[in-house]
Amino acid sequence: MPLNDILNADIIDLNVEGITKDEVLRNMAKTLLENGYINDTELFVKDIYEREAEGPTGMGAGISIPHGKSTSVTRNGIMIGKTVNPIRWESSMSDDGYQDTHLIFLFCVSADEEFARNHMMLLSELAGKLGNDVRVTKLSGAQSKEEILDLILCEDDQLGEVDQLLNEEEIVDLDIDF
Amino acid sequence: MNIVAITACTAGIAHTYIVAEKLQTAAEELGHNCKVETQGSAGIENELTAEDIEKADVVIYAHDIAIRGTNRFANKKVVDVPIGVAMKQPKSLITTIEKKLAAK
Repeated sequence: MPLNDILNADIIDLNVEGITKDEVLRNMAKTLLENGYINDTELFVKDIYEREAEGPTGMGAGISIPHGKSTSVTRNGIMIGKTVNPIRWESSMSDDGYQDTHLIFLFCVSADEEFARNHMMLLSELAGKLGNDVRVTKLSGAQSKEEILDLILCEDDQLGEVDQLLNEEEIVDLDIDF
Repeated sequence: MNIVAITACTAGIAHTYIVAEKLQTAAEELGHNCKVETQGSAGIENELTAEDIEKADVVIYAHDIAIRGTNRFANKKVVDVPIGVAMKQPKSLITTIEKKLAAK
């Protein structure tokens, strides 16, 4: 079952140690190695940084979504890590370009396109679910593996409500070209 | 308004799909019809049809890599923004477009 590969309680860590982005990424890569998702942590982390260099992966609500394709990947999956400490992370949602992250969705995707294609539909569907601000707000406060998995897997209309959206947008006029 | 949009990000893994969802939701909340084509690692999904394009009042490109098939939108009003803009301010993007269209 591809879904059980991609989302798997074994690659959810509710206590990721570290005080820097590099430390938490390396600790998460270690978990992926131990669970047979990658075969080379150095190469995997290097490939993640290659994507990080192209644009911020902080998405507000204390959540970051580092991702990248790597030849070190042997199983496609999404590792989920709740960090012990807030981690300073480049963000597309804040004015100063940074946010404090405490929940990380680390996309672990093979660089072998044929291999990745089988899972890409499912990966893209799961990524799309992070476009829902109610889900993102609830995930930000989730405390257990079950709660995290339920929030990701449920349909949008099963999410219920939140008092205040964490990514609430103030509507302003943008300077756009027509 | 009838909005069509295309999203495409560098890795084609995450932002393409997150922003597609955000644009869809923002448009619907603001009372518009919207269809978003994603150009990512899963290939082209939810591909815009000739009819979708014909009906569209505006086309949004939210991207940081080249969009494929832009020749489909000759003679359409196209708004071209970095994917980060649609990620951070999907509603503002749509309300600004609405105002600009009304002013023309």
